[in-house]
Amino acid sequence: MSAVLRTEGIEVRYGETSVLRDVTVEVERGEAVSVIGPNGAGKTTLLKTIAGVLRPRHGRVVYDGVRLDGRPAHRVVRLGIAYVPAEKELFPQMTVLENLQLGAYVNPTATDEHLAFVFGLFPRLRERTGQLAGTMSGGEQQMLAIGRAMMAGPKVLMLDEPSTGLAPKLVAEMYEQLSRLKAAGLTILLAEQQVPLALALTDRTYVLENGAIRLAGPSRDLLGDPEIKRAYLGLA
Amino acid sequence: MIPILIDGVVQGLQLSLLAVGITLIYGLGGVLNLAHGQLAIVGGVATALLIGGGVNVVAACVLGVLGAGLFALVVDRSLLVPAYRAHGEERLLLGLVLTLGLSLLIDGYLNYQFPNTALTLRLPVPSVNLGGFRVRSASIGTSLIAILAFLVLLGFLRRTLVGKAVRSIIQNEVGAELCGIDATRTRTLILVLSGMLAGLAGVAQGLFSSLGTEMGVEFTILGLIVAVVGGVRSINGTLAAGVLLGIVNAFASYYVGTYLAFIILLLAAMITILVRPSGLLAYWT
Repeated sequence: MSAVLRTEGIEVRYGETSVLRDVTVEVERGEAVSVIGPNGAGKTTLLKTIAGVLRPRHGRVVYDGVRLDGRPAHRVVRLGIAYVPAEKELFPQMTVLENLQLGAYVNPTATDEHLAFVFGLFPRLRERTGQLAGTMSGGEQQMLAIGRAMMAGPKVLMLDEPSTGLAPKLVAEMYEQLSRLKAAGLTILLAEQQVPLALALTDRTYVLENGAIRLAGPSRDLLGDPEIKRAYLGLA
Repeated sequence: MIPILIDGVVQGLQLSLLAVGITLIYGLGGVLNLAHGQLAIVGGVATALLIGGGVNVVAACVLGVLGAGLFALVVDRSLLVPAYRAHGEERLLLGLVLTLGLSLLIDGYLNYQFPNTALTLRLPVPSVNLGGFRVRSASIGTSLIAILAFLVLLGFLRRTLVGKAVRSIIQNEVGAELCGIDATRTRTLILVLSGMLAGLAGVAQGLFSSLGTEMGVEFTILGLIVAVVGGVRSINGTLAAGVLLGIVNAFASYYVGTYLAFIILLLAAMITILVRPSGLLAYWT
């Protein structure tokens, strides 16, 4: 099997400091992959580079045979990769419905179809269509951010720390929806601090430390790895 | 009293036409356009020259407005390119310097090349009776043009997907890019649209009284004051502020003269910044 999304030895720098060094990550079609690691390891940088928000200094990002690096973010979305950043980046003074409509900007004719799908995923959004995004709770905003990304009808969904700032009950609810999306065939690349959740959802996992891949393997195996247990799962 | 009030509203609507462009360009691109009044002059002078060349008046007005938009397009694609490459404060400062230079260039060129050109459009019917008051039909004409332009603009921003994309960039440019919206292209569109609105204000000025090549600076300053009072990111606020300051300006000009009127308008802007830094109707875009 060949990877649908692949970074090939990318190096990303902020000024003189390199945040990612020689990072190669592969995601196969329909696969869910997580990237875990401590704060500042470069997880967000990795996702932002794939999304076109940042440019790699060296290396390539390839999606479905097409080079992504150097393309602006708005072009990457058009190719089928939607990105939900940790900051959510919603439009606070616009309604839930307007936020979702703009999510379908790349394919406006599919708006109604995708809207029905998103409302099925997060029924709460349907009840709040007229509410301004900025006045919603953190959990609702996270749902809206994922919903907005899904409005583009992506083939790959990238999520950065979707559980941050959410109550445990909401986190569980959200992960349930993510596993539904995975079951429906969506390819998922997830960066997450809550390691048990990430490992439970995904097929494979990369451990990123200090900007380099330290470990990679099936999520199930990493769940049993003593070193992972000690470093990330808080178990002795 | 009433005639002054009417004059104020009419002039205020024109100011709104100018200021809304400043608001949009700033909100979208972070560039405060100091040559915005000059765009109005470009539109007005083009119209005057076309009429002088024998073109039908209505066609000349339309072409003048389109000309201002075309000029804005050229500015966006040439002069503003380095500004848009910079970010944050650097872009703001570069934008100020570049557009200030542009305003001087336009003023100098037009005053030198067309020193006695002025746009004065006369309507066949000088005035009409409106509820017991004699109102100049030119006043009604300019107001209708401005109100129509606003309705179209607001309809575009609120109802169409591209209009919503414009608002989304103002609120969160990163978020807009992640939705697949090309901020650069949208910015160009808005600059052209703002240029046309400015051109419309210029033509309307010719209808209302007379537009000369030397009025660019005054237009820019008035537009900036209105944009500040309305809130540089709020479109509705800008519309309201234009009418409000137009009325203030008309009364102040009548009772204390134009020089003091300018100072009073600046005071109004200063007080707004102190009391409501985000403008009259903050965030009500």
